[in-house]
Amino acid sequence: MDDSSGKMGQAELRKKVLDTELCTGCGACIGLCPYQATYRDQTIQLHQCDLNTGMCYAFCPRTPSDLDSLRKSFFDPLEATPEIGPVRGFYICRAADEGNRSRAQHGGTVTALISLALQEGFIDSAVVSESAEGFRQQSVTISDPAEVGKRGKSKLIVSHTVGEFNRISRGGSGKIGVVATPCQAFALAKMRLKPVEAKDNNIDKLQLVIGLFCGWALDWRKFTELLKNKTNLNEVTGMDIPPGKKTVEIYTKNETISLTGEEIDPCIRPACRYCVDTTAEFSDISVGSARLPESWSETRSWNQLIVRTSRGQKLLDLARRQGILVFREVPEGNLDELKKAAWEKKKLSLRRLIEKSGSEDNLLYLDHRDPVISRLLC
Amino acid sequence: MSILLEQNQDVPVLLLGNEAIARGALEAGISVASGYPGTPSSEIIESLSRVATERNLYVEWSSNEKVALEVAAAASFAQLRALCAMKQNGVNVASDFLLHLAGSGTRGGLVLVSAEDPGAISSVNEGESRYFAKMIEFPLLEPGDFQEAKDMTKWAFELSEQLRSLVMIRSVTRLSHASGNVRLGRLPENQAKAEFRYGGFILDPLEGLITSAPVVYKHAQQQLKLSKAREIFENSPFNTYTGPEKPELLIISCSTCALYGREAIHLLGLEDRVGLLKLGTTWPLPPNLVRNALSRAERILFIEEVAPFLEENIKVLAAEKATEVGIKIFHGKNDGSIPSVGELNPDIVIAAICTIMGIEYTAMDPQYEKKAQAASFARAPNRELTFCPGCPHRASFWSIHNALQMDNRKGFVCGDIGCYTLALLPCGYSTVKTLHSMGSGTGIASGFGKLGQFGLDQPVLAVCGDSTFFASIVPALTNAVHQRSNITLVILDNSGTAMTGFQPHPGLAVNAMGSQVPKVDIVKLCEAMGAKVELQDPFELEQTRETLNRLMEDPDGVKILVLRQICGLSPEKRAKKKYDMRIDEFLCLGENCGCNRLCTRIFQCPGLVWNKEKGKTLIDEVICAGCGVCASICPQGAIKSEEAA
Repeated sequence: MDDSSGKMGQAELRKKVLDTELCTGCGACIGLCPYQATYRDQTIQLHQCDLNTGMCYAFCPRTPSDLDSLRKSFFDPLEATPEIGPVRGFYICRAADEGNRSRAQHGGTVTALISLALQEGFIDSAVVSESAEGFRQQSVTISDPAEVGKRGKSKLIVSHTVGEFNRISRGGSGKIGVVATPCQAFALAKMRLKPVEAKDNNIDKLQLVIGLFCGWALDWRKFTELLKNKTNLNEVTGMDIPPGKKTVEIYTKNETISLTGEEIDPCIRPACRYCVDTTAEFSDISVGSARLPESWSETRSWNQLIVRTSRGQKLLDLARRQGILVFREVPEGNLDELKKAAWEKKKLSLRRLIEKSGSEDNLLYLDHRDPVISRLLC
Repeated sequence: MSILLEQNQDVPVLLLGNEAIARGALEAGISVASGYPGTPSSEIIESLSRVATERNLYVEWSSNEKVALEVAAAASFAQLRALCAMKQNGVNVASDFLLHLAGSGTRGGLVLVSAEDPGAISSVNEGESRYFAKMIEFPLLEPGDFQEAKDMTKWAFELSEQLRSLVMIRSVTRLSHASGNVRLGRLPENQAKAEFRYGGFILDPLEGLITSAPVVYKHAQQQLKLSKAREIFENSPFNTYTGPEKPELLIISCSTCALYGREAIHLLGLEDRVGLLKLGTTWPLPPNLVRNALSRAERILFIEEVAPFLEENIKVLAAEKATEVGIKIFHGKNDGSIPSVGELNPDIVIAAICTIMGIEYTAMDPQYEKKAQAASFARAPNRELTFCPGCPHRASFWSIHNALQMDNRKGFVCGDIGCYTLALLPCGYSTVKTLHSMGSGTGIASGFGKLGQFGLDQPVLAVCGDSTFFASIVPALTNAVHQRSNITLVILDNSGTAMTGFQPHPGLAVNAMGSQVPKVDIVKLCEAMGAKVELQDPFELEQTRETLNRLMEDPDGVKILVLRQICGLSPEKRAKKKYDMRIDEFLCLGENCGCNRLCTRIFQCPGLVWNKEKGKTLIDEVICAGCGVCASICPQGAIKSEEAA
């Protein structure tokens, strides 16, 4: 699977990731140098760099990676699960403050945790995603806990979060926390292994990663083209994926627009079809929308949460003690259902990778010999 | 004092070919000179403009070549002598009027000088205007050296008045831009008075209407003029033969190629075996003179640039006079003896003669030649064409390139003619993807911008300069606006016609004579057309890039961005630096990941130099123009700018 030239620079990044539609838009290759840029949700190569090796290739979550090394470096192997990564604890929770919940996507858990982390000095600043003009998402760094709540909603469009981390970590930014999609969390984990010699150790400033469950993201250009025919983009207040049916709901001031699977499918970012991580396995805490026996209108205000590391546990315990988060009992089989769904998604993505490469031994950015991947292939 | 005003006729002076032509025009007592800048013709009008006051001339840089010829024609119609100068493709621009001017005839002597560029040293074409003389039917003269450049030009005005026809003089780079000795003639007192007479019989050439109609009648008049010209040319001193009575090989040549022929004959020592007919009157051909020359030899070799104009015309004559001259063996471009493209030189002519006559000749020892080549490659650094330090185009194309990359829809730029033509190359980040003639970039873009209905979703851009704008963009732009073509036009306004030597144009408040004149406002003109117009300083890189992305995303009609910043070499700047630049070596990353020499490898301003030993960039203070733009591109902020004292 390796390029016979052995080079791992910008040209190889272009050939193996950008040109093959594997790029997730995570931003890991952005903010390191003037050759890579991001525009809307696309990764752009502004100029050609002729170096044989570079940070861009090394940090990219879609270049060949040693998953096993990463798992062993940052997590307790006893807590590992093949389906959803390390699980130290599994919870159903939500922000205690109803106001916060209403401004958030689902249960407001991430907002609550990040605010708490800033307040208590776990981190000095946080890189989060926010809405921008023209139905875009952009990544910003905030240090005021009160500011987090304003960025609660999701638009299912990526922003180059890791690029923003790269940018902010160069300054005197203290401890940084990141709210990351699975691919972004993965990139940050790769960076923590320090694969290339860097002039500085900015990655050491990373002190907290809160991962988001993710099934797929939308391509900004294609999605806004679709949406423009249905409503004024500026009137959209939020969007969501109701569980079960393959639809996306768009909420405006006056109505709810339902988009069908046929309409949505061509707008999905191509790279997402090859993703094997729905639960952000390389984070301290992963948060998603809960799946409960109650109706969707009740369920949607709850989150499901996986704690993976000791510092994640520390933050969660503090949130519970301070009453920032409220918890409820995890229904029987809930975790198993999550594992099953995640496992199916991994299998589907692997099938797609094999179709794309034409060979079972060539999984492009994944290694068919990896213990988890090889199990999926049986 | 300009050398063109020299009155001493005893001592020869060293003149540029273009100066010799200008001097010839002055000796003929011209009153008006007009043109449009174009290499290698520009010095003709420039040198005349410098003596305009002393010689009581009106000299004009017109907005384009067609208008320039019309302006000169008006002077001729008013009984003044006028000269119009341009480069070869300028004649194409003027050709519609030229066609009708040849039909209408002229009054005061009117000479059109076409200074051409074989080998395209400074053009993007290798065109020829000699065929216009044949096709449109008017006399053509080609000076063979610097003395003839002056003498022929002076005589051309007399010829023009004799025939009541314009006369074309064709020069080439190696004449116009080289210098040689010229014996001067007398500068007359210029007392010409302008009057346009039209009250007489409508067909009277001096008192009637000036028009190319009735067409067939006027066309027949042109034929009579040509006949008269032929007669005159039979005895012209500008047609010369040197060589034996009956040479083994007759070379027929014109223009500076005749000099190459002479040099070749001399180097080969063939003065007794090869004859050289140098023609100065190349259209219409004097038939008897040519017949007599053809009768001298069986083998004929034509050497000329660029197209086989003389070759084919003489072959026609030879066919017509076959019973008199006999069967000939012709060599030239059509049989491959002489290349059909590019400039000629003595070596090419020597090679042709040697092949034809079966002679061996080596200019130098092959071992020495090898050594010389190796030495020159080793010592001559590889220099690419580039923009000057401080050039606003570098900044503009940096932003255009980055905006196109970010837009990521395979957008492209239709280029045009000027310094910014270089954006075809890495110095302009290879942004320009089509290039043709003046104004064509916008015309082509206007076409591309309507292909959305066939699925073209790539953003279409065009660039043009401020001088090009007035010369030929306006009709194309009007078309684009009116047809609602989806394009973005970037007007690179550096306040002058920079490529050709910083001549003025209608957008400036000063003209060729140095007088204060009204300037035509580009922004207002575009707005009046109904296009969306914005104005930006290209040195503000990020703002320019953002504006471009926004404009490219607007799918409706024509968007215009005027990037206004004065040329780095503008006389107005007086070579004064705005900033003192320096590199903070501690911050400079050099070749390392994170920079990899962005400034010297990609941005490529000549003022930024890569110091291999130190592994850092340094600023060449002599070359740096102090514009400060590079400070914005360094990812480390290692390039520092400080306001100059």
